Amino acid sequence: MSLELVCPAGTPAALRAAVEAGAHSVYCGFRDETNARNFPGLNFSPDELVEGIRFAHAHGAKVLVAINTFAKAGAMDAWKAALANAEKAGADAVILADLAVLDHAATHHPDLRLHLSVQAAAATPEAIAFYADTFGVKRVVMPRVLSVEEIAKLNAAIDVETEAFVFGGLCPMTEGRCSLSSYATGKSPNLTGVCSPPEHVAYSEDRNGTATRLNGFTIDRFGAGEQAGYPTLCKGRFMAGGKTSYLFEDPVSLNAASLIAALAKAGITALKIEGRQRGKGYVTEVVRTFRAAVEAIDAGGTEVEVGRLLAGLVEGGRQTSGAYKKAWR
Amino acid sequence: MAEHFRGELPRLLRILAAPAGFLPLGPALTLAVRRFARRKPAVFDRLGDYGKCSFLIEPSDLDISFLMVPDGTRAEVKCLRRRAGQTADVTVRGPLLVLLGLLDGTFDGDALFFNRAIAVSGRTDALVALRNAIEDAELTPADFVGATGGLGKLVDRSVIGGLGLARRFTGSPIPGEPS
Ligand code: SF4
Repeated sequence: MSLELVCPAGTPAALRAAVEAGAHSVYCGFRDETNARNFPGLNFSPDELVEGIRFAHAHGAKVLVAINTFAKAGAMDAWKAALANAEKAGADAVILADLAVLDHAATHHPDLRLHLSVQAAAATPEAIAFYADTFGVKRVVMPRVLSVEEIAKLNAAIDVETEAFVFGGLCPMTEGRCSLSSYATGKSPNLTGVCSPPEHVAYSEDRNGTATRLNGFTIDRFGAGEQAGYPTLCKGRFMAGGKTSYLFEDPVSLNAASLIAALAKAGITALKIEGRQRGKGYVTEVVRTFRAAVEAIDAGGTEVEVGRLLAGLVEGGRQTSGAYKKAWR
Repeated sequence: MAEHFRGELPRLLRILAAPAGFLPLGPALTLAVRRFARRKPAVFDRLGDYGKCSFLIEPSDLDISFLMVPDGTRAEVKCLRRRAGQTADVTVRGPLLVLLGLLDGTFDGDALFFNRAIAVSGRTDALVALRNAIEDAELTPADFVGATGGLGKLVDRSVIGGLGLARRFTGSPIPGEPS
């Protein structure tokens, strides 16, 4: 069967752009702490989701709703409302990470298809079997710390679908377990849905260039004319042992385009593109390119042909094939 | 020393644009934003409380700047002399043609900022909210003048074509290309 292309939508306009560019599925979230891209001005109101799903279905695409942060003990109402609103809007699946949210969905919304978010970091057959047996999870998004060989082995040992990130921003830590942002700002993607939140971000200019700060911590410094970056904590330059370096991860983004065929062979059902915070122009270009690549692979195209289709995306910023090709340090 | 950006208007055009400072641009833009808020309230819902923040837009190639509070149907735009020393929650500075390209989605704001084609300062959260709201708004030139139907399409075609030409002429960053 053909690979399913799962594409990001941070706004209704991006959803329409992704669908028109050839997304098989689009994922999006509500405008609150229930999803892991809770940036100001981003995401969907319940009414916008209804409208977005109507548009996607009319064009033969599915909509997956990410409700993938960890619910607060004793204050689960926002997550319960998100599940109810997603079902009412006609979502094709919800993407969840938290045990309590999964339990609530399985008990009160038995007809909703459940996908396990990358935030749950389920990377072993035992963990995946637990989620499948206990809550009826049908698909698991692979943590971005696995190699292609590890994914192939995992797929051989489980009987649910798997989805793998192939393009976009990269969380180098095991997802759902990173506390860097909580340490610096009190907010994290896991609980509040945002890593390195913008209300704590400050850029300041001095004669040495631009310093980027997160809640007072200097995350990086850029000379005049040097390309600046958003102060995401794991991509900062820090001094340790007398040396300044990208201590956790270079500021690169994931591009596993050259591995699409290998991932398909490893048993992956769906390819996921990151970028709900990116604009329509970006979404259109990336989705259109990946759709052409997926079709070329379906038609038995060679790696060279697929490489040529994706070449345009590789220009400019620095990219990596992430853990898919390297052993984790 | 004044900061210079790629894609600024040539000197002659700046001189020709100088009298714009005497036109009632502020009230006209205030009306345009309020009219737009009545037509597309969802764009302003998306801004939430950030709609009450002040945004100072400073075209680096003109002697005027715009102070905007995008509070839906209570929105306010003031046209100021550049050296008025105005402060705001967020300041965005760059060539006029590039700033216009941000509004209609020709340019990606993140890419422009990280490539230093524009400079921003102030509250990053308010700026992110405005950028996302504009991204979803799918603004066209016709929205600014309130034109709809065939007239709207004509306005869009001519303004977008004209701006594209002007950007090529001034050497603005090309959309989609690293600048
Ligand atoms: S700091 Fe980096 S690894 Fe940690 S959550 Fe943020 S993006 Fe992910």
